[in-house]
Amino acid sequence: MAGMPETEGGQVTPAGSTAIAERPLEESVAQTPWVTIVWDDPVNLMSYVTHVFVTYFNYAKSKAHKLMMQVHTEGRAVVSSGTREEMERDVAAMHEFGLWATLDKSDQ
Amino acid sequence: MRKFRRKSGAVVTHLSSYEVELLVSLVSQLVEMISDGEPESYLQPESSDPFELWAQDLASDPDQPETHDDPVLQRLFPDAYPHDARASSDFRRFTERELKTTKIADARLVLDRLAATERGARELRVPAEEIQAWLRTLTSVRIAVATRLGITDAESAEELSQLPDDDPRAFMASVYDWLGFAQETMISAL
Repeated sequence: MAGMPETEGGQVTPAGSTAIAERPLEESVAQTPWVTIVWDDPVNLMSYVTHVFVTYFNYAKSKAHKLMMQVHTEGRAVVSSGTREEMERDVAAMHEFGLWATLDKSDQ
Repeated sequence: MRKFRRKSGAVVTHLSSYEVELLVSLVSQLVEMISDGEPESYLQPESSDPFELWAQDLASDPDQPETHDDPVLQRLFPDAYPHDARASSDFRRFTERELKTTKIADARLVLDRLAATERGARELRVPAEEIQAWLRTLTSVRIAVATRLGITDAESAEELSQLPDDDPRAFMASVYDWLGFAQETMISAL
């Protein structure tokens, strides 16, 4: 989380929100981005995986192809990042398409 | 079958009566497995009545295992959190029903289009708006067949392509190839 600049005489607090020191721990953790990971599997066609990345994430074909190749050659690829809730939505969508996907904190 | 091809806002092909029967059988079995023998219970749209939702929730067996026993279902409904069994189980409880409903609705569209071929007498026509349902269903069926064939990695997949003709798995292996061909050509036709 970005630190707040300190000025002489005390901490700067952004208008309308609490200072960092007062922010509860849960909120700090909640700021950590999560990622959706797609794992390689022996069933899904390369063309299908690329198609899913284009269709669902609206990635350009070249980016979708690159991610698919990463899954294929490295065993896994990070396909999106965001809040935990957003990643749960992406993982559910991947499962709908029959891909094997998990979500995790981005620093894992 | 011949490759799928584009034709006025749809993808089309001709299937033999045998192929239609086979695909109907595979997709129907998929529906049975996903719905645990009760496909009708997944047809109703999710109720917005909180009491009905609550009743639906209570109706699900509390002793049901967190993850599935059947390896096909394990692959179709995998754990979302690799390091957190509790989070995975929460995720499953909130999303699995909707996921099953989608898969069953997709399968129904496929079965309806197959029925429209009149056992292969007419061409199979998949309109643009139903293509995703077909691709998703073909994937689910391929996953089911692959799992039953013991395909767990690239090596076992490779081994399967070199089976002797008298191997008991030879028939299902050829079905698996055929399903892959169908899916591949459908994507190419888009």
